Amino acid sequence: MILHIDMDAFFASIEQAINPRLKGKPLIVGSRGNRMRTVVCAASYPAKALGIHSGMPTREAFRICPGLEFVAADQAKYIWTSERILEMLRGYAWPLNYASIDEFQLDIGPHPEPLKLAAQIREQIYANFNITASVGIGKNWLLAKLASKLNKPDGATLISEANFSDILSRAPLTKLCGMAGKTGQILMTQGLKTCWDLYLKMPGYFDENPGKFEEAGQNPDLPKSLGHSYTLPKPQINHRVIRAWLRVLSEMVGERLRRQDLTSRTVHLWLNFPQDGYFAAQKTFSIATNDSYEIYLRSLKIMARIPQKAHKIRALGVTASHLNRQTYLPLLTEEKRREALIKAFDRINSRFGDNSIFPAQVILTHK
Amino acid sequence: MNQNSFNPKARWDRFEPEKPGGFNPDDLAERIEVLAYFKHARIYPRAFTWNNKEYRIDAVTYNWQERLGQALINYFSVNSSGQMYQLSFNNSTFRWQIDKIIS
Repeated sequence: MILHIDMDAFFASIEQAINPRLKGKPLIVGSRGNRMRTVVCAASYPAKALGIHSGMPTREAFRICPGLEFVAADQAKYIWTSERILEMLRGYAWPLNYASIDEFQLDIGPHPEPLKLAAQIREQIYANFNITASVGIGKNWLLAKLASKLNKPDGATLISEANFSDILSRAPLTKLCGMAGKTGQILMTQGLKTCWDLYLKMPGYFDENPGKFEEAGQNPDLPKSLGHSYTLPKPQINHRVIRAWLRVLSEMVGERLRRQDLTSRTVHLWLNFPQDGYFAAQKTFSIATNDSYEIYLRSLKIMARIPQKAHKIRALGVTASHLNRQTYLPLLTEEKRREALIKAFDRINSRFGDNSIFPAQVILTHK
Repeated sequence: MNQNSFNPKARWDRFEPEKPGGFNPDDLAERIEVLAYFKHARIYPRAFTWNNKEYRIDAVTYNWQERLGQALINYFSVNSSGQMYQLSFNNSTFRWQIDKIIS
């Protein structure tokens, strides 16, 4: 039996715990201080009730609710809280999965009183962090996650054999993980409105799709990919600045690869144009790397494929995949020098903090 | 079960003050004196002096930590006479500072 813990409006709840004045108010957390030129990272429940959701441009959110409260995101406090919750859950000694910054899963086995346990965990989270969580319990990850969404905020739901048909027939299909997008839309057009409709159409679906962590469990130490993306404060046409942002993202990806002793052969570049949709492409190279500059050069090679150069760019992302453990030892003098330089770079940043030293090109992003 | 499936260390919140230059309540970073006690590996700030004025801390609403290189920064959101402030303590330099006025 899986117990899925989903924090309620996680970032917004933490900001409300920090500043009690914000409690009960429509609040959004944006990715930076400039409130009109960013996107909503998290919305409080009163804001969600007005139709404001994550990913929405803040300008649109303020149009819906001019009196909306805004807080600039500070990821340190969200990470710290998430890691403390993880630490707290480790105390239960059941297998634990850190699904995302605000989702945790415990494999509690055949527990006699799962709802009592859920109440205990929710109380413990509230007592320690002054924020609430919703808990879902089901026979597998997919059902547990679905259950956690059915009684939000601050609720608990158990999907058992006894109430399976009752709960699924009340659960809209879009609540099911993976059904919020196109797949869900296609199934909806075929007349499948609830999770029970899906079950009747495909009885094995909830057994054959037990959930993510069984799939990811083959090599838990090796991630499939590592990436970073960034939405620019305003659409940018200056290629020097765009390249500088690519460099920033490549540096971040490279640093994470090196910290985990990984190398990557494939670079995936994603660019979002405000008017003309997006560009996404990837290229696999014969030599694996974790050198940020090399990742940057590979991203530029991919970017050169864009047919028209004069695009305004709104957001961009760099992802490294085809990851493997670092095994290559540099042989050439130039390679050895480069490796020594990168190590020195990493040592400085690890001692004095991220971005204590950075490539000069990055300065263009500070303007 | 996969216990390393999520790594939250990715930073995307590069802070850009809305009103650069001049007095910015979101970006003070001013050194202050703090009266605090340390108990069971935790820090409890009680009062602070900023610009020669003493502020009694009525409540610490939240606290969190961040590692910046080798330094560990302890952050506190505190309430003093109805106004919220963010204070921080660097355990490497033993420096207290006021980071911002929380509006």
